[in-house]
Amino acid sequence: MDKVWIILQSEFLRRVRTRTFLLTTLLAPIIMLSLALLPALIGYLGSRDNTRHLAVVDATGILLPRIQEYAPATLRLEAVTLPVDSLQVAVQQGRYDGYLILPAGLIDGNATAELYVERSLGLSFQGQLERLINRAVREVRLERLQVPPELVTALRAEVSLRQYRLLETGTEADGTVFFSIIGYLMGFIIYGATLAYGSLVMQGVIEEKTSRVVELIVSSVRPFQLLMGKVLGIGAMGLVQFALWGLLFLAGATAAGPIIAHFIDPQQLNLPASASTRDLLQAANITLPSVDPMLILWFVLFFLGGYLLYASLFAAVGSAVEQQQDAQSLMLPLMLLIVIPILFITYVIENPDAPLSIGLSLVPFFSPILMIVRIAIGSATFGEAVLAYLLLVAGFLGAIWLSARIYRIGILSYGQKPSLRELLRWIRA
Amino acid sequence: MLVVDQVTKRYGTTVAVDRASFTATPGRILGLLGPNGAGKTTTIRMIAAILLPDKGRILFEGRPVGPWSQALMGYLPEERGLYRKLRVEEQLVYLGRLKGLSLGEARRRARTWLERLDLARWRHHKTEALSKGMQQKLQFIAAIQHQPRLLILDEPFSGLDPLNAELLKDIVLELKEAGRIILFASHRMEQVEQLCDDICLIARGRILLAGSLREVKQRFGRNTVVLEFDGDGAFLEPLIQQGAIRLLSRTNHRVELVLCNGTPPRRVLEAALSHVRELYRFEVTEPPLSEIFKQVVRAQTASTETSHG
Repeated sequence: MDKVWIILQSEFLRRVRTRTFLLTTLLAPIIMLSLALLPALIGYLGSRDNTRHLAVVDATGILLPRIQEYAPATLRLEAVTLPVDSLQVAVQQGRYDGYLILPAGLIDGNATAELYVERSLGLSFQGQLERLINRAVREVRLERLQVPPELVTALRAEVSLRQYRLLETGTEADGTVFFSIIGYLMGFIIYGATLAYGSLVMQGVIEEKTSRVVELIVSSVRPFQLLMGKVLGIGAMGLVQFALWGLLFLAGATAAGPIIAHFIDPQQLNLPASASTRDLLQAANITLPSVDPMLILWFVLFFLGGYLLYASLFAAVGSAVEQQQDAQSLMLPLMLLIVIPILFITYVIENPDAPLSIGLSLVPFFSPILMIVRIAIGSATFGEAVLAYLLLVAGFLGAIWLSARIYRIGILSYGQKPSLRELLRWIRA
Repeated sequence: MLVVDQVTKRYGTTVAVDRASFTATPGRILGLLGPNGAGKTTTIRMIAAILLPDKGRILFEGRPVGPWSQALMGYLPEERGLYRKLRVEEQLVYLGRLKGLSLGEARRRARTWLERLDLARWRHHKTEALSKGMQQKLQFIAAIQHQPRLLILDEPFSGLDPLNAELLKDIVLELKEAGRIILFASHRMEQVEQLCDDICLIARGRILLAGSLREVKQRFGRNTVVLEFDGDGAFLEPLIQQGAIRLLSRTNHRVELVLCNGTPPRRVLEAALSHVRELYRFEVTEPPLSEIFKQVVRAQTASTETSHG
């Protein structure tokens, strides 16, 4: 074990001190964050710039004021009485984004509202406009039926739904969506990390074999010790990288509240402009639930288990070939195994308690990704998590045993690339 | 003592090493000879406890080799290889620690040896920045820095300039004087003759010849003649045609030949004296090792061919 420790140290240090390590550690979260936030940011900037300006021909004579009353600040509706062809010219000249025709029969349901545009204003805009018109039409109809104003107000009530989760310590703001996202992220991070660190292990094994240094090393240590030292050393590097990312994330989360608050318009929430960050977030129904330390512990455990399982198998593949390109065909079965949980991740998030989800999340090859999703969502019982983990431990012990048998022969075999059948022979040898 | 006892190793259906037995003694250098693919590397790997024999035993100081003997053994493989990205000193320290040296001891020895082999100023360079010859010296240090009692050197001098080769040779001889067991695998017969006390010739997995170099050569008799002269070498032609001699090697001024069919040495001497301008050397001696090598390996090939035919 002493030698495993020496190898572990060396493998760890020679990677951690490189510029590549520093760069990936710093850049990975930035790239991930921008990939995640870019669509939202683009949407935000897009909606902000685009104040829509529509000309409205209101043949009913009463709808437009009501629509205007509910329209957001970004939608300007201007009553016009121009003929259609001059409206067309006005739109083409860019004076309006489009023109809206509200026929007289609209209120009785005998006609449809028509929106003419030069360039599409987007699906969500269409939906928004539709809702505004509907609301106005509904109110006019109710008034014509002489429905009492109290009833109108009652019908107008727009209820928002807020969900809470029952906990032993009391109720807590529910974060189903939040925890689904967390679970999804954690699953994907484990998937990406397993692949990335696993390939590093494989690359290291191939390098040792190609440079022939491996013969020197196995004249000093058992192949198994070399395998374990390498896998654990790179695993330790991964843990350090995760710890650094964790710190960055923590720093980011602390700064997130004020940043989000910055984008909220207090007036929309009927709050004074001087409202505090906390009031703003609360009124906007944004709560940032805190992540349970247990979840983080499970995440680290499942990451390590999944990494050990796959990295040792990657090492076995690396030992069988002399060049990275030759590894492709042997990698195929491994890649299939690692992709299956990714294919099921959305299903599991939507149906965390379905028998298929429970079953898949117990299988060692899948549990590092699928069980962590279920734990994050709060669907997995403690017993299930422990069971999945015990199976995973058995799985990676088996994988290490299997890989060691391939590895000890593979590292000294040069020349023809072995077939899968040959690998099976090595395992039995 | 290193005892290889009736060792057999198979790869699938091919027998790489077939009931091989030989012994290596402290304070002596054993030359491991054999054509390419003869089973030398497999034998060495079994001695180094990298491979397990299928049958037979390998004993070092009376115990079967294993992880314990690896710490007492130094190995310079024929296929050289180091970690390209590690710095020179770091590389030696790492390899030394894997042999069981403490961090401090490994550092101290790495520095001493780098100094001695004139690599000290490369200490902090990456290994890949070194020339091939320097990398080879580095790997030589890795093989000896932990003071192994058993040293396996596979073509240790290939690719080195004469000065560096001399430097390493001196160290090997020092280690021999210090009572280490040294296995020296090489195709360079003149190096083997120069360095080895014992030899062991392997071909097709079998040991064809084993024993002290002296004894082996004597077994092949004193019927080789070495001539060095100035002038015309044409006097040899009639002797060859009569079947009296067979040439081993011939250059402008030097001839090695074997006396055949009981030809007396003086017949060659007389022929030479009456034709050449000047004769510098006439020596009746044992055959060179390269000649013994060729003879033995050819004989094996012929006998297996007849037995198969």
